[in-house]
Amino acid sequence: MEIDYEPIAGRSTGYYLLLTALLVLVAAGVTATVLMIAYGIHLSGMTNRVPWGLQIVMAIFYIGLSAGSLVVSGLYGIFGKLEYKPFARIAAFLAMLFLIAGLLSIVTDQGRIDRVFVQPFAHFNATSMFSINPALYMGHIMICIFYMWALFKEKGRLTKVTSVTVVLWALCVHTGTGAIFAFTPRELYNTALLPPSFVAAALSSGAALMILVLVSLFRITRRHLDVALVIWLGRLLAVFIIVAMYVILIENAHRFYLIESREATSYYLFKGYHAVLFWGGLIVVGSVVPAVLLFRRRTGTSVPWIVFSSVLVVVGVLCERYLIVLPGLEHPPNLFPGMEIIASALDEGIVTYSISLLEILQALGVLSLIGFMFVLGLKYLPLLPTEARAHGQSQMLKDLIARATANAEAEPTSPAV
Amino acid sequence: MDRREFLKTGGLFLVGTPCVYGLMAMAAPRPHEAGATDARRWGMVIDLNRCPADCSACLEACRRENNVAVHGDRRWDIHWIRKVTIRKKHEADAPTRTLPLLCNHCDHPPCAQVCPVQATYKRADGIVIVDHHRCIGCRYCLIACPYNARYFNYRENDEWPNKAYPKRSHGVAESCNFCAHRLDQGRPPACVEACRDSGAGALKVGDLDDPDSEISRLIADNSVKRIREDLGTEPKVYYIGL
Ligand code: SF4
Ligand code: SF4
Repeated sequence: MEIDYEPIAGRSTGYYLLLTALLVLVAAGVTATVLMIAYGIHLSGMTNRVPWGLQIVMAIFYIGLSAGSLVVSGLYGIFGKLEYKPFARIAAFLAMLFLIAGLLSIVTDQGRIDRVFVQPFAHFNATSMFSINPALYMGHIMICIFYMWALFKEKGRLTKVTSVTVVLWALCVHTGTGAIFAFTPRELYNTALLPPSFVAAALSSGAALMILVLVSLFRITRRHLDVALVIWLGRLLAVFIIVAMYVILIENAHRFYLIESREATSYYLFKGYHAVLFWGGLIVVGSVVPAVLLFRRRTGTSVPWIVFSSVLVVVGVLCERYLIVLPGLEHPPNLFPGMEIIASALDEGIVTYSISLLEILQALGVLSLIGFMFVLGLKYLPLLPTEARAHGQSQMLKDLIARATANAEAEPTSPAV
Repeated sequence: MDRREFLKTGGLFLVGTPCVYGLMAMAAPRPHEAGATDARRWGMVIDLNRCPADCSACLEACRRENNVAVHGDRRWDIHWIRKVTIRKKHEADAPTRTLPLLCNHCDHPPCAQVCPVQATYKRADGIVIVDHHRCIGCRYCLIACPYNARYFNYRENDEWPNKAYPKRSHGVAESCNFCAHRLDQGRPPACVEACRDSGAGALKVGDLDDPDSEISRLIADNSVKRIREDLGTEPKVYYIGL
């Protein structure tokens, strides 16, 4: 199957307006970061009790998105699924950009940014997940670049080998990122299930992102995208959601069951705003509703509903990322089992993290920067196929196409993409 | 300079600068390393029976000695040593106990384990210390310390009472270092000295490896406790009467 790739023209006013808007946001983010470098990161919402905040949440969110889109891209190479071939390039490109976003979020979060580029290399600490991960991230970015090159040059065998490497590497990267938390002696962090649940949520957010990017890109550039392909990705997303939900529920059931961590777990599962994020954001909005929508015959074959489900999944995973980082810090370590601290100069009880405006600007700046690179990439790299058609490879795909067509006939308003 | 030459010089510069910095960073000596020897293993004993609940001599001495930042804001104030009052959970009329808390100079320090640049490290004599010239301010050590004994310089410290000891820039982490600079000169830590001078004499510092040291005898003769021994961090601060 030959696929033609054609960059977008990128000469419209809208295109330049978009680039300008993104640059303005980048400038805002740079300003926020410069202020923090000059005056200290008390300008964020972080404190001695909550030393990690929004930037770390966003970092692991981006790194997750990167893994997910990469796996979607790798499906083509690994399983030779031609259905995915039209997306392979764009997925690899996005994976690289989101990894850069993750690294940037971490770098801009440091107290001494001036030292970040030297000290970690001069004094590598093999027992620190914060040393091991940047090495994995760097490798990941380089493999992504190589993979993209292989895809651009249409190197058949090489692409296949690289895509296997890339997917395995992505799994390591995400396991490593989960281990940043899991390998510390903190009550809500130190569970061995954290890396797997991290990977599972990463896959579902990545697949959701792919759906959103593909549907909107093909629509904006008025290119043909077969409904069957979107349905197929929706199916994949549904499976990822179920796996992620399973691991996350087991993880929490386990720590709730164990008496030693029950108090901390029930604090975040049933009290305060975390409970809303967990049950409302992650479980209902981010998992159950999209899973039902995607599995139901009618909604699972309709593009608007699949897009809607993907938005919900992304929101849910963002909640999940927040819940990985913050509750474990806001809930105090148990210094004196059986006792309570009634007076201290430090806040020893439960504290709340509140995001500051500058942190939000920093996060938006990072997102806009990779948005900017993405929009430029669409113009200067052969990423986007002229059309994406499902070539009836498998029986399942044929069924899906048949079903989608039947739906379209039954419901004349159902949009063609 | 023609183009080729320009590119060459530029390239050399781009590659060379980080390398030079890296080598300089690698060669930079550790602060307060001179006095560290594995002939000693510093530890502390705190006798709570001699520690009055309302005394704060050690806290004030520590601030004066080490230029520890107070910003008047609980979110960012730094406490190398702090006093906490505890009582049995869910028993409002249970007796309370007030005790000083500081870095335990764990024998297996999670803070040093996670530090990505080995800025936090354990000296040969067991003192856990931060190299402020190397710390990148990632705050991973604050995450990993199970005792809330680590603090971060979220903002600049305006005060500098003890000019003989450096103050820290914002953006680096810190915690109690047992006044390594004083121990290296054969003087007791500021808190221990202030506690002795106040007449209480609740804080004692000494060599855990020497069975005849004052603290080794105190540990042998009393029922002592360390905080969260169950975590396996092997804290080196022992409490009598906890
Ligand atoms: S008490 Fe905390 S800061 Fe001190 S050595 Fe132990 S883990 Fe590190
Ligand atoms: S904040 Fe500094 S001392 Fe603490 S882990 Fe990071 S680099 Fe090491």
